[in-house]
Amino acid sequence: MSHIMKPLSEIQQMFCDGLRSSSPPAQALLDEIVDDGHQLQRFNVYRNNFIVLNGDALADMYPVIKRLIGEQAFRVLATAYVREHPPMARTLLLYGEQFADFIAAVTELSGLPYLVDMARLEFAWTAAYHAEDASPLTQQQIAGLSPDALENLHLQPHPSMHSIASDYPLYRIWSANQSDGADETISLDQGVSHIVVIRPNVEVEVREVSAGAFRFLQRLARGDAIGDAYTQATEVEPEFDLQNYFARHLFDGTFCSL
Amino acid sequence: MNNRSLKTVAAPVPERAGAGLKPKHYQAIIDEQPDIGWFEVHPENYMGRGGPALRYLERIRADYPFSLHSVGTSLGSYLPLDKEHLKSLKVLVDRFEPGLVSEHLSWSHGYEWYTHDLMPLVYNEQTLRHVVEHIEQVQEFLGRTILIENPSTYLQFKDNEIPEHIFYVEAAKRSGAGLLLDINNVFVSCGNHGWSVDEYISVVPRELVGEIHLAGHSIQELDGATLRVDDHGSPVCQEVWQLYENYINSNGALPTLIEWDSNIPEFNELFREVRFAEAFLRAKDESYHEAAV
Repeated sequence: MSHIMKPLSEIQQMFCDGLRSSSPPAQALLDEIVDDGHQLQRFNVYRNNFIVLNGDALADMYPVIKRLIGEQAFRVLATAYVREHPPMARTLLLYGEQFADFIAAVTELSGLPYLVDMARLEFAWTAAYHAEDASPLTQQQIAGLSPDALENLHLQPHPSMHSIASDYPLYRIWSANQSDGADETISLDQGVSHIVVIRPNVEVEVREVSAGAFRFLQRLARGDAIGDAYTQATEVEPEFDLQNYFARHLFDGTFCSL
Repeated sequence: MNNRSLKTVAAPVPERAGAGLKPKHYQAIIDEQPDIGWFEVHPENYMGRGGPALRYLERIRADYPFSLHSVGTSLGSYLPLDKEHLKSLKVLVDRFEPGLVSEHLSWSHGYEWYTHDLMPLVYNEQTLRHVVEHIEQVQEFLGRTILIENPSTYLQFKDNEIPEHIFYVEAAKRSGAGLLLDINNVFVSCGNHGWSVDEYISVVPRELVGEIHLAGHSIQELDGATLRVDDHGSPVCQEVWQLYENYINSNGALPTLIEWDSNIPEFNELFREVRFAEAFLRAKDESYHEAAV
């Protein structure tokens, strides 16, 4: 029986369906492959490569999640994620953006409620790594400003900044999983965590900040002036010490050049 | 002259051995300044807006010529080329002035999503015309010729009408592109399909080849089928070194890349493979000199 030639689009779409599917590929696709008795195994090399390669990209982005749930469980999760959310961009740099939401819907992981926030933190780290560059604010730029002018200044945090608030001691969990050092016991009732991920200079920094500083930075990022952002910050943390915060961070690259 | 001042001068890729650039090795390369002819870079890994990756690339480019080896153009897709991706590629080409730019004979884009792996083509006239048109578009957009790399393949379509090696050479001839000859891929494809390696390589016109690739592959047993899989996760195998030596001896020195993309070793182990390839190139060089004397 002669084989009827198919348009390229049809073959490539069938191929993609087979790559992504959790069940074996359609017979119609296998019928397109030269018959040597191993069509399925041959196709499966591509299917495995697709899952493994994109799963590796996820593993690179989420090393702490992988450590917390173990290599094997991570692979199962990554495989399901790749099938449900195949890469929508030409590059893999930010592949895995929906991983936090994906984890939130996995009932088997509900015993580790901080995983969702951890995924947000790890995504923020990579996003900050690839974010655009910006020159830092310098002393000269604000040297001549009056107190009034300072209060009305719209100071922008570095474009790499991400803020993550968690009901769990997320910063401590993240820090404890940065190396294969001694095990540390962290109790989940050790409090909430406010984290800012930012790349002020060369390296990405993960900083635990006070609730006030967290709100202050979020408000500035939204375009509030310093005075308004400070007022907002004191609502969540009446003792928020802006002078102290600025003494440490005003010129360290946390804020952009005016 | 200080190497740093050459940064803005387009540097041709020399007929020496080079290595695929991996983030894991940035610091070792900057600190140790190894005697390597050039580095090859996947542009898709540097299409972020900014940050350390691009800064490292700039730093290393100051000391070494580059080749940009794209994995995301999807020359063989039935879908049109992505203009945004081409723009990002051109930005990197303009910024880093690579001596060579290359892409694979494959596709990675069948729906709105991307496979990020190199999928096999149907080798017939319909696909060939399509691929040639895409190569021409890329070359026109970049304002330069590119090299096309032969793929590792694991299956053949019933609709194939042209042998892979003929298709590969014909795509370059019709589009005016050059060829990147991946000897490991030849070995893998021929092993998987029972083709003759010698015949494959013999139809590739020497004058079109601008670069050689070498890499490791694995042998996988899959439910009764034994297949060679191009995973770039190990040293180059003995048979591929032998093919390489033969090729260089008959055809002369060419820029030669060692690719290592999974189970990436410490820099020194990769460097050892690079020096091994370099030794073949030097030996060839010396035999030229001897012949001249």
